[in-house]
Amino acid sequence: MQVLLKEINKSFGNLKAIDNVNLLIEDGEFFTLLGPSGCGKTTLLRIVAGFCKPDTGDIFFGNKKVNNIPPHKRETGMVFQNYALFPHLTVFDNIAYGLKARKISKQIIYSKIEKILDKVQLKGLEDRYPGQLSGGQQQRVALARALVISPQVLLMDEPLSNLDAKLRVGMREEIKRIQKDLGITTIYVTHDQEEAMAVSDRLAILNFGKIQQIGTPSEIYFKPLNSFVAGFMGSSNLIKVNVIDYDPQKSLLETEVNGNRIYVKSDKISDKELIISLRPEWIKIADNESNKKVNCFSGKVINVTFLGSVLRYKVEAFKNLIITIEIQDPQFYEIKKEGETIFFQFGVDRPVIIES
Amino acid sequence: MLRKYLTIWNIIFLSVFIILFLSLIYPLFSIFKASFINPETGKFSIESYRKFFHYAYYLRCLGHSIFVSLIATFFALIIGIPFGFFVSRFHVPGKSIIKTLGTLPLILPTFIGAEAWLLLLGRNGLLYNLFHRIGIDIPSIYGWKGIVLVFALQFFPYVFLMVSSSISSIDSSLEESARNLGANSWRVFRTITLPIVTPSIFAGALVVFYLSIENFGVPILIGEDYKVLSVQAYNEFISEMGGNPSMAGTLSMILLFITLSVTVLQKYWVERKSYVMSSLRPPEVKRLKPFPTFFIWFFCVFIVSFALFPFIVVIISSITKTKGPVMYYGQFSLENFIKAFKIAPRPIINSFFLATVATIIGIIFGILVSYLIVRKKGFTSYILDVLIMVPLAIAGTVLGIALASTYNKGMIVLTGTWMILVLSYFIRKVPFSIKTTSSLLHQIDTSIEEASINLGVPPLRTFIKIIVPIMLPGIFAGAILMWVTTLAELSSTIVLYYGPWATMTVEIFQRIGSADFGPASAYATILIISVLIPLFILHKVLGKDLLSTM
Repeated sequence: MQVLLKEINKSFGNLKAIDNVNLLIEDGEFFTLLGPSGCGKTTLLRIVAGFCKPDTGDIFFGNKKVNNIPPHKRETGMVFQNYALFPHLTVFDNIAYGLKARKISKQIIYSKIEKILDKVQLKGLEDRYPGQLSGGQQQRVALARALVISPQVLLMDEPLSNLDAKLRVGMREEIKRIQKDLGITTIYVTHDQEEAMAVSDRLAILNFGKIQQIGTPSEIYFKPLNSFVAGFMGSSNLIKVNVIDYDPQKSLLETEVNGNRIYVKSDKISDKELIISLRPEWIKIADNESNKKVNCFSGKVINVTFLGSVLRYKVEAFKNLIITIEIQDPQFYEIKKEGETIFFQFGVDRPVIIES
Repeated sequence: MLRKYLTIWNIIFLSVFIILFLSLIYPLFSIFKASFINPETGKFSIESYRKFFHYAYYLRCLGHSIFVSLIATFFALIIGIPFGFFVSRFHVPGKSIIKTLGTLPLILPTFIGAEAWLLLLGRNGLLYNLFHRIGIDIPSIYGWKGIVLVFALQFFPYVFLMVSSSISSIDSSLEESARNLGANSWRVFRTITLPIVTPSIFAGALVVFYLSIENFGVPILIGEDYKVLSVQAYNEFISEMGGNPSMAGTLSMILLFITLSVTVLQKYWVERKSYVMSSLRPPEVKRLKPFPTFFIWFFCVFIVSFALFPFIVVIISSITKTKGPVMYYGQFSLENFIKAFKIAPRPIINSFFLATVATIIGIIFGILVSYLIVRKKGFTSYILDVLIMVPLAIAGTVLGIALASTYNKGMIVLTGTWMILVLSYFIRKVPFSIKTTSSLLHQIDTSIEEASINLGVPPLRTFIKIIVPIMLPGIFAGAILMWVTTLAELSSTIVLYYGPWATMTVEIFQRIGSADFGPASAYATILIISVLIPLFILHKVLGKDLLSTM
């Protein structure tokens, strides 16, 4: 089921929770709303579910406008952040709840529940109460309960935020697997960018109720449209530079920051001032500056963090900027100490130009 | 347009307000009005108020009320604070029994406590006679000392419960961090523990003061010439020489002013001062050396026994042979019970019937109002929230007088029917039902409802299928609390009942008045048992401390 949101606006008092949002979610797509807390992502999800009425704007499921369909008739399956399992009902009755409301015969209920329990690997726990389940199991019950009614759209509101880190990774792979199996259109809300990249076909980044960028995880990671997206999706060095010259033959932009020349690949000449984004892992350590390579600089190490698979330096460079550099697999690498000088270098095709 | 506002919950809102208006606001307004009307001329007059502040007689009643309540509060604190500290901080043998028994006095009817002390220290009392025979005249129970004794012993559990729950809610890391910062244990107690507990001590003190000043049964039974406001209001209203509604109204208004002030103080001052903490690790229960442990144990056991002793006396008296006011202790007989059950069973049936009807109405009303208050937040539900707790701030006598004088004429006449008793019980006790259900509802996340709606069940059916079952323990607890406290209700019953609808409490009260202690004790015993059994069930079934809900 395709979901279309058209010019959605919603305010709470003076707070603009949703600011003119337009979204088209394709049939069968796993779509994520990603943003910091208070960005409006949950409100948007609740608007789709019907728990929250938009001030203006329309919601379509397929060709059907659903604005005036009350939440209990909207045929969405929602998984809540705290699971919202009915504490007085068993696992079986929790999952059967939506089916019973649809007056489905007992036999079909049994077979449907059997199938879904198989899918979420909860066989044998039918008679337990929610209080007797672990967090991960509760999560599966909530998912099963939402899926068993074969909703048109599956809505998930930070479903993994109450699980511990290890379980979260396992669960998100499972959610993705089940979603692909069933081919169900899914809208997923999270503030965790890694989780969002791991599960989504496409995602939208929200901030202050506005959509910042829509795209596939790799598009958003490698081509952030603005500094918010660049900073929110992974970490990034954002450097403000002045444009000096443009060489159309080589498509090379010559820029300057505090007297240092940075060359940036670009199809077009740009404004006088711009921001470039440089991911920490795109920067390599160089032997020394003397080889005078393009985009090779020196700086003073001010902080070293060893994370096992990654070694992270904070380097003071370009006079007074702090640059983060990450070295993957640092096993055979001589780790510099704080205060030492370090040389680093990056390709001209690495920096991403961001409109400021 | 009209249809839009005619949703089911708005209709319920409206009905709730109508019921509250008829059972609470309008009656209060009518006695307010009556207090300003000269009963002879029927014109506006402030004569009654002038009289009140002019005659030493009335002012003395006010003075008495405040005096006994203050002294009783003082003693309740003296007993309740250490009791609360001891049972929540230290290892005491048999602690859970001590705690359970220690909370019982506040659920047992105070006028039965008064009866017991009359049996012991009254003019023909057991101990009084005993000491008199060996030549010692011990002070009698009559007057303010007796009133204070009964109040302090029966109301101290409020202080103890509040203090102990507040102590248990202090996270142990608070005291540990104070220790870590270099404070010794006395300093920690003085600078951390005590200040955190202080608001609960105040809260407990206000509750005791309120209960003392609104109490009717104890001062009328053992006060004798020591008249307090509630008793005087009743006398003015019921007076054989034709009651004075204006003076009764004035006294009620003054009593109402005091009780409301205490409640407002409680709500806006104490609640603001108390600290909300999410205790992750409750403080450690210390094991003291044998001697201090014994001392603490002895203190607690002594207090509990002393507070429950009167009720044992009543139960023993009920199976003692009697002849009018003369009790033959040591000679047992079931005659009193036979009398109660055979000759005059009506009061027992009345009590059960009225309490049950009032409770059923209270449950339904309580569920709906709780839902409105917790879920339909807004200005109207805020007003409702405040309004619904008003009955807790009105002395039973005052409410009785208000209802009786409102519904004795006009469009709705209820005076002289059983319905007015139900109305009074309902409005007085429904806050219990609302408190227990709404506190449970607060813990139910809205997402539970949304999940049900999302799965295809419309809102009202969701309420019935999901919310009501989850609230069931709270509803059950509220119902038992309502039922039990209604059974023990005397102060409004005495104003509102008429002949055939006398309840057990009225029967006990009247028989004490005519020194017919045997049957009085039999009825009292039946009442005590009827109160304790449901509470015991509540405790067993829900594992709930009955008093955590009060």
